[in-house]
Amino acid sequence: MAKTMDVIREIFGLLFGQDPELRQIIGVTLRMSTLSALVSALVGIPLGVILGSTEFKAKRFVNRILHTLMGLPPVVAGLIVFLFLSRSGPLGTLKLLFTVTAMVIAQIVLITPIMTGLTANIVSVKAPLIHETAAGIGLRPFQRMLYIIYECRVQFVSTLLTGFGRAIAEVGAVQMVGGNVQFKTRVMTTAIMMQTNMGHFEFAIALGIVLLVIAFLINSLVSRIQESAGLA
Amino acid sequence: MKKLCVVLIMGVLILSLTACATKIENPVIRLSTTTSVNDSGLMAYLQPVFEKDTGYTLEITSAGTGAAIEKGRTGDADVLLVHAKASEEEFINEGFGEVRVPFMYNFFVIVGPEGDPAGVNGSATAAEAFKKIAEAGATFISRGDDSGTHKAELKIWKSLELDPTGQPWYVSVGDSMGKTLTVGNEMQGYVFTDKATFLAHENTLSLLLEETDDMKNTYSMIAITSQRYADTNYAGAQAFIEWMTSEKAADLIAKYGIEEYGEQLFFILAAK
Amino acid sequence: MISVRDVLVQVGGRVILDIPLLKFEEGRRYGLIGENGSGKTTLLRVLAGTLLPTQGQVTRQNPNSLGYMPQAPYAFSFSVLRNVEMALENTPERRDNAVRALEAVGMRNFLAARGNKLSGGEAQRMAVARMIAKPRKLLLLDEPTSSTDIRGTDAIENTLLEYAKETRCTLIFSTHSPAQVLRLAEEVIFLDQGRILEKGSARDVLGNPQTESARLFLQHWRI
Repeated sequence: MAKTMDVIREIFGLLFGQDPELRQIIGVTLRMSTLSALVSALVGIPLGVILGSTEFKAKRFVNRILHTLMGLPPVVAGLIVFLFLSRSGPLGTLKLLFTVTAMVIAQIVLITPIMTGLTANIVSVKAPLIHETAAGIGLRPFQRMLYIIYECRVQFVSTLLTGFGRAIAEVGAVQMVGGNVQFKTRVMTTAIMMQTNMGHFEFAIALGIVLLVIAFLINSLVSRIQESAGLA
Repeated sequence: MKKLCVVLIMGVLILSLTACATKIENPVIRLSTTTSVNDSGLMAYLQPVFEKDTGYTLEITSAGTGAAIEKGRTGDADVLLVHAKASEEEFINEGFGEVRVPFMYNFFVIVGPEGDPAGVNGSATAAEAFKKIAEAGATFISRGDDSGTHKAELKIWKSLELDPTGQPWYVSVGDSMGKTLTVGNEMQGYVFTDKATFLAHENTLSLLLEETDDMKNTYSMIAITSQRYADTNYAGAQAFIEWMTSEKAADLIAKYGIEEYGEQLFFILAAK
Repeated sequence: MISVRDVLVQVGGRVILDIPLLKFEEGRRYGLIGENGSGKTTLLRVLAGTLLPTQGQVTRQNPNSLGYMPQAPYAFSFSVLRNVEMALENTPERRDNAVRALEAVGMRNFLAARGNKLSGGEAQRMAVARMIAKPRKLLLLDEPTSSTDIRGTDAIENTLLEYAKETRCTLIFSTHSPAQVLRLAEEVIFLDQGRILEKGSARDVLGNPQTESARLFLQHWRI
């Protein structure tokens, strides 16, 4: 019993104390996830809008590729990026392996298709009617696109948040291309894995709690947004 | 007809009971060892012979030294095979094991980029090599996972009164020897590793320093005491230790690596 | 002014519109009438250009001066005023024109209301306001009073009549109600299963239908 109290005390100490490494790990995680989510959104959302609102010959084919990419196993994405960035790979001279940049790249590969797919789904529901009404008013294609984006703006925010939540939870790909290097590429998920392997459960639990809280916050935000969008 | 069935069933039951009586009571031995031992391939080499000779089944798990020893504390292992003397003695003092049985040793080595920018090759001791690396600010990749290898590395830094933590050239990955070597290959940095894992791994790094006094690495076995957990296989652990310290095992261990790498990887400690 | 020739619309092997020739004259008002699924919406979409026919051609004299109001027009999430202003060029008179159009359909009190909070009838009136906020040569309206109450229907019909008179535009609308055709249109086109059943002056065709299907359809409306 005493030991359990010690453990709990140590966890609280880590959570509310000034452990610099804990905070540094959280910092790297937030930086990496924010960057990954933003870039994926910048690429994925416009692509999703186009996919969801226009008809073109190869659409079925593109959709199939998209769904395959959406189901890409993270470790495979990590492996591909690793092979590209390693010394013996085509981009080896950039020396990007085991950096935050490499992790962001791997995450972009994983998250962009998800954002594109989600956006295309959202847009395809509203787009046909908006398109018809806007065309009937006399608006040009570019204007119509802008209005579609505007009308779906709330859901785009929730898509962005979903991407962020995905980025923060990623372990496999990020471990492979980041290397979990202390003070450089160690993020919450890889740190939890490592600390558990080493038997340092207090640190792992503290990190786990932080990760849970963040994930919980993101998910409740997304729910809030979805609900208000549903009512609007 | 019914009577015949009853007799047959009784006969089968009796036979199986007697068969059980001649078998080992608990045939599964849970061995907790380190990733270095696992990565070297030694256990995979010895396991089939041990199992055939004794009839026991070996369940091997590997982790960093800290976690491997922890398994002994939580009752998840019957016998440990590790190489961290201080941690082992602490474990014994806490009462989880009765005695440590050192039985073999090998050497750590320092590997690094072919060009050897810090001039490690030719150093008299590992400490001297480490000093050169620190002074040159050459990239050094550490396991950083509290393993036996890591603790040995830290001991050397401590002897120099140098703390490399946080230095830009010091890369701590918190992972196994194999993984650390992979990072070393990528970054072309120096790595403090055991020779067996290095040879078993695909490398672009070169062997720069070996067999100095301060790089000797001793392996011990500890049987977990039967006093703490009801299901600890103490008999199995003893059987394992006995076999591992037998002449046959000594012979096998000494031969390991010669055919594949051209040299002996593990050395037997002279029996007391 | 606008005409279709040899137009065929096929969906999944089924023919949903088959019009060998149909011409609409400038400045006249046409009502399209028929059962659900008779092809009214399809014809309007082909005329508007939002649906490309499987075969055939549509000839438009003033393609840029066209207004099309679909069956359930989309109301954007910003204010009703902006919903109408979006149809107009950004000139100093834009606001006034939009307000005037909304007043004509009886939506003067709704200027600041959010588009997506309107009822079906209110959204339809707003959509009509969008159509008439500026002069157009051709108006295509798909069941413009399907959700409005009597007051709203009156407002819309009166507005459209005035608008057509002022701008001399061509007005083509679809409806279920022969009475509306009589009030609003000069000519009527009866559609059945994608084909033209009858065509002619509203009074003549509705008063004296020549085909059995048309007669049956009109029978429902006998009070």
